[in-house]
Amino acid sequence: MADLPSHFSGFRRSDGRVGVRNYLVVLSTVALVNRWAELIAAAVPDARIVAGEFMRGLRDPDAARQERACEALATHPNVGACLVLCHDAASARHWREYLASCGRPHAVLALMEQDGMEAAVRAGQHRLARLDEARRAVARQSCPLGTLMLGLECGGSDPTSALVANPAIGLVVDAVIDAGGSAIVSETVEFVGAEDPVRARCGSPPLAERLLAAIAAAEQRMEEDGERYRGVNPTAENIEAGLTTLVEKSMGAVAKTGSHPFIGLLEFGEKPMTPGLYLMDTPFFSPCSITGMVAAGAQLTLFGLGVFNPSGNPLAPTVKVCGNPITAARWRDAIDVDLSEVLTERLGLDQAAQRLRDFLLDTAAGRESSAERWREGQFIVPKTLTPL
Amino acid sequence: MSAVERAHVIVDPRDNVTTVLDQDTGPHRLHGGMELAPGVPFGHKVALRAIARGEPVIKYGVAIGHATCDIAAGEHVHVHNCA
Repeated sequence: MADLPSHFSGFRRSDGRVGVRNYLVVLSTVALVNRWAELIAAAVPDARIVAGEFMRGLRDPDAARQERACEALATHPNVGACLVLCHDAASARHWREYLASCGRPHAVLALMEQDGMEAAVRAGQHRLARLDEARRAVARQSCPLGTLMLGLECGGSDPTSALVANPAIGLVVDAVIDAGGSAIVSETVEFVGAEDPVRARCGSPPLAERLLAAIAAAEQRMEEDGERYRGVNPTAENIEAGLTTLVEKSMGAVAKTGSHPFIGLLEFGEKPMTPGLYLMDTPFFSPCSITGMVAAGAQLTLFGLGVFNPSGNPLAPTVKVCGNPITAARWRDAIDVDLSEVLTERLGLDQAAQRLRDFLLDTAAGRESSAERWREGQFIVPKTLTPL
Repeated sequence: MSAVERAHVIVDPRDNVTTVLDQDTGPHRLHGGMELAPGVPFGHKVALRAIARGEPVIKYGVAIGHATCDIAAGEHVHVHNCA
Protein backbone atom coordinates (compact mmCIF):
# COMPACT_ATOMS: atom_id res chain seq x y z
CA MET A 1 0.00 0.00 0.00
CA ALA A 2 1.18 3.52 -0.76
CA ASP A 3 2.58 5.42 2.22
CA LEU A 4 0.11 7.08 4.55
CA PRO A 5 0.25 10.84 4.91
CA SER A 6 2.34 11.38 8.02
CA HIS A 7 -0.03 13.78 9.83
CA PHE A 8 -3.68 14.41 10.50
CA SER A 9 -5.51 17.18 12.23
CA GLY A 10 -6.36 16.33 15.86
CA PHE A 11 -6.61 17.68 19.40
CA ARG A 12 -3.41 17.55 21.44
CA ARG A 13 -3.98 16.78 25.14
CA SER A 14 -1.72 17.69 28.03
CA ASP A 15 -1.02 13.99 28.76
CA GLY A 16 0.62 13.67 25.33
CA ARG A 17 -2.27 11.81 23.76
CA VAL A 18 -4.25 13.08 20.79
CA GLY A 19 -8.01 13.22 20.34
CA VAL A 20 -9.82 12.83 17.02
CA ARG A 21 -12.89 14.44 18.61
CA ASN A 22 -13.44 17.15 21.20
CA TYR A 23 -16.62 15.78 22.73
CA LEU A 24 -18.56 17.43 25.51
CA VAL A 25 -19.25 14.50 27.85
CA VAL A 26 -21.69 13.90 30.66
CA LEU A 27 -20.41 10.88 32.58
CA SER A 28 -22.64 8.98 34.97
CA THR A 29 -20.43 7.18 37.48
CA VAL A 30 -23.24 5.03 38.84
CA ALA A 31 -26.51 3.89 37.23
CA LEU A 32 -28.46 5.76 39.94
CA VAL A 33 -27.69 9.03 38.17
CA ASN A 34 -28.09 7.86 34.55
CA ARG A 35 -31.44 9.65 34.25
CA TRP A 36 -29.98 12.82 35.71
CA ALA A 37 -27.26 12.61 33.04
CA GLU A 38 -29.87 12.30 30.28
CA LEU A 39 -31.85 15.28 31.54
CA ILE A 40 -28.73 17.44 31.74
CA ALA A 41 -27.27 16.34 28.40
CA ALA A 42 -30.55 17.18 26.63
CA ALA A 43 -29.59 20.86 26.93
CA VAL A 44 -26.64 20.55 24.52
CA PRO A 45 -27.49 18.72 21.30
CA ASP A 46 -24.04 17.28 20.64
CA ALA A 47 -23.22 16.32 24.24
CA ARG A 48 -22.24 12.66 24.61
CA ILE A 49 -23.51 10.59 27.52
CA VAL A 50 -21.13 8.08 29.00
CA ALA A 51 -23.22 5.76 31.13
CA GLY A 52 -23.61 2.08 31.72
CA GLU A 53 -24.97 -0.29 34.29
CA PHE A 54 -22.25 0.95 36.61
CA MET A 55 -23.15 -0.41 40.02
CA ARG A 56 -22.30 -0.61 43.68
CA GLY A 57 -21.77 -3.86 45.52
CA LEU A 58 -19.23 -5.24 43.07
CA ARG A 59 -16.42 -7.34 44.48
CA ASP A 60 -12.86 -7.25 43.26
CA PRO A 61 -11.64 -7.65 40.63
CA ASP A 62 -14.94 -6.36 39.21
CA ALA A 63 -15.15 -3.23 41.38
CA ALA A 64 -11.62 -2.15 40.48
CA ARG A 65 -12.22 -2.88 36.80
CA GLN A 66 -15.37 -0.76 36.72
CA GLU A 67 -13.68 2.11 38.55
CA ARG A 68 -10.63 2.04 36.27
CA ALA A 69 -12.85 1.97 33.18
CA CYS A 70 -14.92 4.94 34.38
CA GLU A 71 -11.83 6.98 35.17
CA ALA A 72 -10.22 6.11 31.84
CA LEU A 73 -13.36 7.11 29.92
CA ALA A 74 -13.57 10.47 31.72
CA THR A 75 -10.04 11.29 30.59
CA HIS A 76 -10.20 9.67 27.14
CA PRO A 77 -8.33 11.73 24.51
CA ASN A 78 -11.57 12.35 22.56
CA VAL A 79 -13.07 14.13 25.59
CA GLY A 80 -12.89 17.91 25.26
CA ALA A 81 -14.67 18.64 28.54
CA CYS A 82 -16.40 16.42 31.05
CA LEU A 83 -19.21 16.80 33.57
CA VAL A 84 -18.95 13.90 36.02
CA LEU A 85 -22.08 12.96 37.95
CA CYS A 86 -21.96 11.05 41.23
CA HIS A 87 -24.61 10.03 43.69
CA ASP A 88 -22.90 10.84 46.98
CA ALA A 89 -20.49 13.48 48.22
CA ALA A 90 -17.65 11.09 49.06
CA SER A 91 -17.58 9.78 45.53
CA ALA A 92 -17.61 13.35 44.19
CA ARG A 93 -14.60 14.22 46.38
CA HIS A 94 -12.72 11.23 44.97
CA TRP A 95 -13.53 12.31 41.41
CA ARG A 96 -12.48 15.92 42.02
CA GLU A 97 -9.10 14.69 43.22
CA TYR A 98 -8.76 12.31 40.31
CA LEU A 99 -9.60 14.97 37.71
CA ALA A 100 -7.56 17.79 39.29
CA SER A 101 -4.59 17.14 37.00
CA CYS A 102 -6.45 15.97 33.89
CA GLY A 103 -5.72 19.22 32.05
CA ARG A 104 -9.17 19.56 30.53
CA PRO A 105 -12.24 21.54 31.59
CA HIS A 106 -14.30 19.45 34.00
CA ALA A 107 -16.82 19.64 36.82
CA VAL A 108 -18.09 17.11 39.34
CA LEU A 109 -21.57 17.14 40.89
CA ALA A 110 -23.17 14.86 43.48
CA LEU A 111 -26.91 14.35 43.33
CA MET A 112 -27.15 14.21 47.12
CA GLU A 113 -25.72 17.72 47.33
CA GLN A 114 -28.58 19.11 45.24
CA ASP A 115 -31.98 20.41 46.38
CA GLY A 116 -34.58 18.53 44.45
CA MET A 117 -34.57 17.16 40.94
CA GLU A 118 -35.48 20.33 39.10
CA ALA A 119 -32.67 22.30 40.75
CA ALA A 120 -30.28 19.38 40.18
CA VAL A 121 -31.00 19.39 36.44
CA ARG A 122 -30.65 23.18 36.28
CA ALA A 123 -27.33 23.06 38.15
CA GLY A 124 -26.05 20.38 35.79
CA GLN A 125 -27.15 22.23 32.68
CA HIS A 126 -25.51 25.43 33.95
CA ARG A 127 -22.18 23.62 34.43
CA LEU A 128 -22.51 21.89 31.09
CA ALA A 129 -23.06 25.19 29.25
CA ARG A 130 -19.85 26.56 30.80
CA LEU A 131 -17.92 23.42 29.90
CA ASP A 132 -19.26 23.62 26.36
CA GLU A 133 -17.75 27.08 26.02
CA ALA A 134 -14.48 26.09 27.67
CA ARG A 135 -13.87 23.13 25.36
CA ARG A 136 -14.07 25.42 22.33
CA ALA A 137 -10.79 27.05 23.34
CA VAL A 138 -8.87 24.11 21.81
CA ALA A 139 -8.44 23.82 18.07
CA ARG A 140 -7.31 21.00 15.83
CA GLN A 141 -3.64 21.00 14.92
CA SER A 142 -1.37 18.80 12.93
CA CYS A 143 -0.57 15.54 14.76
CA PRO A 144 1.65 12.66 13.67
CA LEU A 145 -0.17 9.60 12.42
CA GLY A 146 1.72 7.59 15.03
CA THR A 147 -0.47 9.11 17.75
CA LEU A 148 -3.40 6.97 16.57
CA MET A 149 -4.49 3.95 18.54
CA LEU A 150 -7.02 1.78 16.70
CA GLY A 151 -9.49 -0.64 18.21
CA LEU A 152 -10.07 -3.64 15.92
CA GLU A 153 -13.36 -5.43 15.83
CA CYS A 154 -15.46 -7.67 13.64
CA GLY A 155 -19.06 -8.74 13.93
CA GLY A 156 -21.77 -10.23 11.78
CA SER A 157 -18.95 -12.15 10.16
CA ASP A 158 -19.43 -14.03 6.88
CA PRO A 159 -16.98 -15.31 4.22
CA THR A 160 -16.54 -11.76 2.85
CA SER A 161 -15.34 -10.57 6.31
CA ALA A 162 -12.49 -13.06 6.19
CA LEU A 163 -11.59 -12.31 2.56
CA VAL A 164 -12.21 -8.58 2.17
CA ALA A 165 -13.07 -6.44 5.21
CA ASN A 166 -10.69 -7.98 7.74
CA PRO A 167 -7.63 -8.29 5.43
CA ALA A 168 -8.19 -4.67 4.27
CA ILE A 169 -8.30 -3.57 7.92
CA GLY A 170 -5.08 -5.56 8.49
CA LEU A 171 -3.27 -3.62 5.75
CA VAL A 172 -4.33 -0.29 7.28
CA VAL A 173 -3.25 -1.49 10.74
CA ASP A 174 0.18 -2.36 9.32
CA ALA A 175 0.49 1.17 7.91
CA VAL A 176 -0.55 2.84 11.18
CA ILE A 177 1.90 0.74 13.20
CA ASP A 178 4.64 1.43 10.63
CA ALA A 179 4.03 5.10 11.40
CA GLY A 180 4.57 4.50 15.13
CA GLY A 181 0.92 4.03 16.10
CA SER A 182 -0.91 1.29 18.00
CA ALA A 183 -3.74 -1.17 17.53
CA ILE A 184 -5.63 -3.36 19.96
CA VAL A 185 -7.55 -6.49 19.06
CA SER A 186 -9.75 -8.21 21.64
CA GLU A 187 -12.29 -11.05 21.96
CA THR A 188 -9.77 -13.69 23.04
CA VAL A 189 -12.03 -16.60 22.13
CA GLU A 190 -11.75 -15.67 18.44
CA PHE A 191 -8.09 -16.67 18.59
CA VAL A 192 -8.79 -20.31 19.45
CA GLY A 193 -7.29 -22.26 16.55
CA ALA A 194 -4.82 -19.55 15.57
CA GLU A 195 -2.31 -20.41 18.30
CA ASP A 196 0.55 -21.28 15.94
CA PRO A 197 0.34 -18.09 13.85
CA VAL A 198 -0.04 -16.03 17.05
CA ARG A 199 3.01 -17.69 18.61
CA ALA A 200 4.99 -16.92 15.46
CA ARG A 201 4.01 -13.26 15.74
CA CYS A 202 4.95 -12.75 19.39
CA GLY A 203 7.99 -10.60 20.07
CA SER A 204 9.29 -12.94 22.80
CA PRO A 205 8.67 -16.50 24.08
CA PRO A 206 7.35 -15.27 27.49
CA LEU A 207 4.81 -13.05 25.72
CA ALA A 208 3.81 -15.98 23.48
CA GLU A 209 3.18 -18.06 26.62
CA ARG A 210 0.99 -15.32 28.13
CA LEU A 211 -1.07 -14.88 24.96
CA LEU A 212 -1.50 -18.63 24.48
CA ALA A 213 -2.47 -19.03 28.16
CA ALA A 214 -5.18 -16.37 27.74
CA ILE A 215 -6.47 -18.12 24.61
CA ALA A 216 -6.40 -21.51 26.37
CA ALA A 217 -8.30 -20.04 29.35
CA ALA A 218 -10.98 -18.66 27.01
CA GLU A 219 -11.32 -22.08 25.36
CA GLN A 220 -11.50 -23.71 28.80
CA ARG A 221 -14.39 -21.41 29.83
CA MET A 222 -16.19 -22.27 26.60
CA GLU A 223 -15.80 -25.99 27.35
CA GLU A 224 -17.09 -25.50 30.89
CA ASP A 225 -20.31 -24.32 29.26
CA GLY A 226 -20.46 -27.56 27.28
CA GLU A 227 -19.22 -26.19 23.99
CA ARG A 228 -16.51 -28.27 22.35
CA TYR A 229 -14.92 -25.94 19.82
CA ARG A 230 -11.83 -27.76 18.66
CA GLY A 231 -12.73 -31.01 16.93
CA VAL A 232 -16.13 -29.84 15.69
CA ASN A 233 -14.59 -26.90 13.86
CA PRO A 234 -14.53 -26.14 11.03
CA THR A 235 -18.17 -27.24 10.94
CA ALA A 236 -19.80 -29.02 8.00
CA GLU A 237 -21.25 -25.65 7.01
CA ASN A 238 -17.79 -24.01 7.16
CA ILE A 239 -16.35 -26.77 4.98
CA GLU A 240 -19.11 -26.33 2.44
CA ALA A 241 -18.26 -22.61 2.40
CA GLY A 242 -14.64 -23.45 1.57
CA LEU A 243 -12.91 -23.41 4.95
CA THR A 244 -10.52 -26.35 5.17
CA THR A 245 -8.98 -26.13 8.65
CA LEU A 246 -9.58 -24.47 12.03
CA VAL A 247 -6.46 -22.33 11.53
CA GLU A 248 -7.94 -20.99 8.30
CA LYS A 249 -11.27 -20.23 10.01
CA SER A 250 -9.62 -18.42 12.93
CA MET A 251 -7.31 -16.46 10.63
CA GLY A 252 -10.40 -14.89 9.04
CA ALA A 253 -10.78 -12.88 12.24
CA VAL A 254 -7.07 -12.57 13.06
CA ALA A 255 -6.45 -11.11 9.57
CA LYS A 256 -7.64 -7.72 10.83
CA THR A 257 -4.49 -7.49 13.00
CA GLY A 258 -2.20 -7.21 9.96
CA SER A 259 1.28 -8.67 10.10
CA HIS A 260 3.19 -6.84 12.83
CA PRO A 261 4.30 -8.74 15.93
CA PHE A 262 2.15 -8.67 19.06
CA ILE A 263 4.03 -6.74 21.74
CA GLY A 264 1.74 -7.23 24.72
CA LEU A 265 -1.34 -8.69 26.39
CA LEU A 266 -3.68 -6.20 28.07
CA GLU A 267 -6.33 -6.62 30.75
CA PHE A 268 -9.78 -5.17 30.02
CA GLY A 269 -9.38 -1.39 29.65
CA GLU A 270 -5.62 -1.42 30.38
CA LYS A 271 -3.60 1.34 28.70
CA PRO A 272 -0.65 0.17 26.58
CA MET A 273 2.70 1.62 27.59
CA THR A 274 4.50 1.55 24.24
CA PRO A 275 3.25 1.73 20.65
CA GLY A 276 2.50 -1.45 18.71
CA LEU A 277 0.00 -4.28 18.41
CA TYR A 278 -1.78 -5.70 21.48
CA LEU A 279 -4.26 -8.40 22.34
CA MET A 280 -6.72 -7.32 25.04
CA ASP A 281 -8.28 -10.20 26.96
CA THR A 282 -12.03 -9.47 26.73
CA PRO A 283 -15.35 -11.28 26.25
CA PHE A 284 -16.56 -11.56 22.65
CA PHE A 285 -19.67 -9.31 22.80
CA SER A 286 -18.59 -6.35 20.66
CA PRO A 287 -20.06 -3.45 22.74
CA CYS A 288 -18.14 -4.90 25.69
CA SER A 289 -14.84 -5.48 23.90
CA ILE A 290 -15.05 -2.02 22.25
CA THR A 291 -15.61 -0.47 25.70
CA GLY A 292 -12.35 -2.11 26.83
CA MET A 293 -10.35 -0.88 23.84
CA VAL A 294 -11.76 2.65 24.11
CA ALA A 295 -11.00 2.73 27.85
CA ALA A 296 -7.42 1.82 26.91
CA GLY A 297 -7.31 4.95 24.76
CA ALA A 298 -8.31 3.84 21.26
CA GLN A 299 -9.56 6.97 19.49
CA LEU A 300 -11.16 5.05 16.58
CA THR A 301 -12.43 1.54 15.97
CA LEU A 302 -12.22 -0.26 12.64
CA PHE A 303 -15.15 -2.66 12.47
CA GLY A 304 -15.30 -5.35 9.77
CA LEU A 305 -18.73 -6.81 9.09
CA GLY A 306 -20.42 -9.25 6.75
CA VAL A 307 -24.07 -8.97 7.76
CA PHE A 308 -24.95 -5.71 9.50
CA ASN A 309 -24.03 -5.07 13.13
CA PRO A 310 -24.84 -1.69 14.73
CA SER A 311 -22.06 -1.71 17.37
CA GLY A 312 -20.37 1.57 18.08
CA ASN A 313 -19.12 3.64 20.97
CA PRO A 314 -20.16 7.15 22.04
CA LEU A 315 -16.54 8.19 22.70
CA ALA A 316 -14.70 6.78 19.69
CA PRO A 317 -15.91 6.86 16.09
CA THR A 318 -16.48 3.36 14.73
CA VAL A 319 -15.70 2.92 11.05
CA LYS A 320 -17.91 0.20 9.56
CA VAL A 321 -16.20 -1.74 6.77
CA CYS A 322 -18.10 -4.19 4.60
CA GLY A 323 -17.16 -6.46 1.69
CA ASN A 324 -20.59 -8.04 1.17
CA PRO A 325 -22.39 -6.34 -1.76
CA ILE A 326 -25.87 -7.27 -0.50
CA THR A 327 -25.28 -5.92 3.03
CA ALA A 328 -23.54 -2.83 1.68
CA ALA A 329 -26.54 -2.05 -0.55
CA ARG A 330 -29.13 -2.62 2.18
CA TRP A 331 -27.27 -0.68 4.90
CA ARG A 332 -25.89 2.17 2.82
CA ASP A 333 -26.86 4.67 5.53
CA ALA A 334 -25.04 2.82 8.30
CA ILE A 335 -21.89 1.44 6.63
CA ASP A 336 -18.93 3.76 6.10
CA VAL A 337 -16.64 1.95 3.71
CA ASP A 338 -18.10 -0.32 1.04
CA LEU A 339 -15.38 -2.65 -0.25
CA SER A 340 -17.72 -5.03 -2.07
CA GLU A 341 -16.11 -4.04 -5.39
CA VAL A 342 -13.39 -6.53 -4.48
CA LEU A 343 -16.03 -9.16 -5.29
CA THR A 344 -18.05 -7.42 -7.96
CA GLU A 345 -15.54 -5.24 -9.82
CA ARG A 346 -12.24 -6.97 -9.11
CA LEU A 347 -10.95 -4.12 -7.00
CA GLY A 348 -7.59 -5.20 -5.57
CA LEU A 349 -7.21 -5.69 -1.82
CA ASP A 350 -4.49 -3.00 -1.80
CA GLN A 351 -6.82 -0.50 -3.48
CA ALA A 352 -9.57 -1.49 -1.05
CA ALA A 353 -7.20 -0.84 1.87
CA GLN A 354 -6.31 2.58 0.43
CA ARG A 355 -9.98 3.48 0.28
CA LEU A 356 -10.33 2.48 3.94
CA ARG A 357 -7.17 4.33 4.91
CA ASP A 358 -8.42 7.54 3.26
CA PHE A 359 -11.73 7.24 5.08
CA LEU A 360 -9.93 6.58 8.38
CA LEU A 361 -7.84 9.74 8.02
CA ASP A 362 -10.90 11.82 7.08
CA THR A 363 -12.71 10.43 10.11
CA ALA A 364 -9.75 11.20 12.37
CA ALA A 365 -9.81 14.78 11.08
CA GLY A 366 -13.50 15.21 11.90
CA ARG A 367 -15.67 13.52 9.27
CA GLU A 368 -18.68 12.00 11.03
CA SER A 369 -18.92 8.21 10.92
CA SER A 370 -22.27 6.45 10.46
CA ALA A 371 -22.33 5.15 14.02
CA GLU A 372 -21.77 8.71 15.28
CA ARG A 373 -24.57 10.02 13.10
CA TRP A 374 -26.93 7.39 14.51
CA ARG A 375 -25.55 7.86 18.02
CA GLU A 376 -24.88 4.15 18.32
CA GLY A 377 -22.97 2.65 21.18
CA GLN A 378 -22.96 1.34 24.71
CA PHE A 379 -20.54 1.00 27.59
CA ILE A 380 -20.37 -2.50 29.03
CA VAL A 381 -17.77 -3.52 31.62
CA PRO A 382 -17.56 -7.29 32.19
CA LYS A 383 -18.25 -8.82 35.61
CA THR A 384 -16.83 -12.10 36.82
CA LEU A 385 -18.52 -12.42 40.24
CA THR A 386 -22.06 -12.10 41.53
CA PRO A 387 -22.35 -8.66 43.17
CA LEU A 388 -23.13 -8.36 46.89
CA MET B 1 -16.63 -21.50 -24.75
CA SER B 2 -14.01 -18.82 -24.21
CA ALA B 3 -12.67 -18.52 -20.69
CA VAL B 4 -14.03 -15.51 -18.80
CA GLU B 5 -11.85 -14.56 -15.90
CA ARG B 6 -12.98 -15.35 -12.37
CA ALA B 7 -12.63 -12.86 -9.53
CA HIS B 8 -10.35 -14.02 -6.73
CA VAL B 9 -8.33 -12.64 -3.85
CA ILE B 10 -4.79 -13.43 -2.75
CA VAL B 11 -4.98 -12.31 0.87
CA ASP B 12 -1.24 -12.09 1.51
CA PRO B 13 1.63 -11.92 -1.02
CA ARG B 14 3.22 -14.99 0.63
CA ASP B 15 0.17 -17.18 -0.07
CA ASN B 16 0.34 -20.22 -2.36
CA VAL B 17 -3.44 -20.37 -2.68
CA THR B 18 -6.04 -17.84 -3.75
CA THR B 19 -9.76 -17.73 -2.99
CA VAL B 20 -12.34 -17.38 -5.77
CA LEU B 21 -14.95 -14.68 -5.23
CA ASP B 22 -17.66 -15.50 -7.75
CA GLN B 23 -19.96 -18.39 -8.56
CA ASP B 24 -18.63 -20.90 -11.07
CA THR B 25 -20.45 -20.18 -14.29
CA GLY B 26 -18.18 -22.14 -16.61
CA PRO B 27 -15.12 -20.01 -17.38
CA HIS B 28 -12.01 -21.46 -15.88
CA ARG B 29 -9.33 -18.82 -15.74
CA LEU B 30 -8.32 -16.60 -12.83
CA HIS B 31 -8.48 -12.85 -13.30
CA GLY B 32 -5.00 -11.84 -14.36
CA GLY B 33 -3.69 -15.22 -15.21
CA MET B 34 -3.72 -18.92 -14.82
CA GLU B 35 -6.14 -21.65 -15.78
CA LEU B 36 -7.99 -23.33 -12.97
CA ALA B 37 -10.03 -26.46 -12.43
CA PRO B 38 -13.74 -26.15 -13.24
CA GLY B 39 -16.40 -26.24 -10.53
CA VAL B 40 -14.57 -24.39 -7.72
CA PRO B 41 -17.32 -22.61 -5.72
CA PHE B 42 -17.31 -19.11 -4.19
CA GLY B 43 -15.05 -18.92 -1.15
CA HIS B 44 -13.00 -21.99 -2.06
CA LYS B 45 -9.26 -22.07 -2.66
CA VAL B 46 -7.15 -22.76 -5.73
CA ALA B 47 -3.41 -23.51 -5.77
CA LEU B 48 -1.38 -20.66 -7.27
CA ARG B 49 1.53 -23.01 -7.93
CA ALA B 50 2.31 -26.69 -7.52
CA ILE B 51 2.32 -27.71 -3.83
CA ALA B 52 4.11 -30.97 -3.08
CA ARG B 53 2.73 -33.46 -0.56
CA GLY B 54 3.75 -32.36 2.96
CA GLU B 55 4.32 -28.74 1.97
CA PRO B 56 2.41 -26.05 3.86
CA VAL B 57 -0.70 -24.56 2.30
CA ILE B 58 -0.30 -20.82 2.93
CA LYS B 59 -3.19 -18.35 3.23
CA TYR B 60 -3.17 -15.10 5.26
CA GLY B 61 0.62 -15.52 5.08
CA VAL B 62 0.46 -18.49 7.48
CA ALA B 63 0.32 -22.28 7.17
CA ILE B 64 -3.37 -23.14 7.40
CA GLY B 65 -2.57 -26.83 6.78
CA HIS B 66 -0.38 -29.16 4.74
CA ALA B 67 -0.86 -30.82 1.38
CA THR B 68 -1.89 -34.46 1.91
CA CYS B 69 -0.96 -35.27 -1.72
CA ASP B 70 0.73 -33.45 -4.58
CA ILE B 71 -1.42 -30.49 -5.67
CA ALA B 72 -1.08 -29.08 -9.19
CA ALA B 73 -1.22 -25.34 -9.94
CA GLY B 74 -4.82 -24.34 -10.60
CA GLU B 75 -6.25 -27.27 -8.62
CA HIS B 76 -9.02 -26.89 -6.04
CA VAL B 77 -7.48 -27.01 -2.53
CA HIS B 78 -9.76 -28.30 0.21
CA VAL B 79 -10.28 -31.16 2.67
CA HIS B 80 -9.53 -33.77 -0.04
CA ASN B 81 -5.92 -32.64 -0.40
CA CYS B 82 -5.16 -30.44 2.61
CA ALA B 83 -5.32 -31.01 6.37
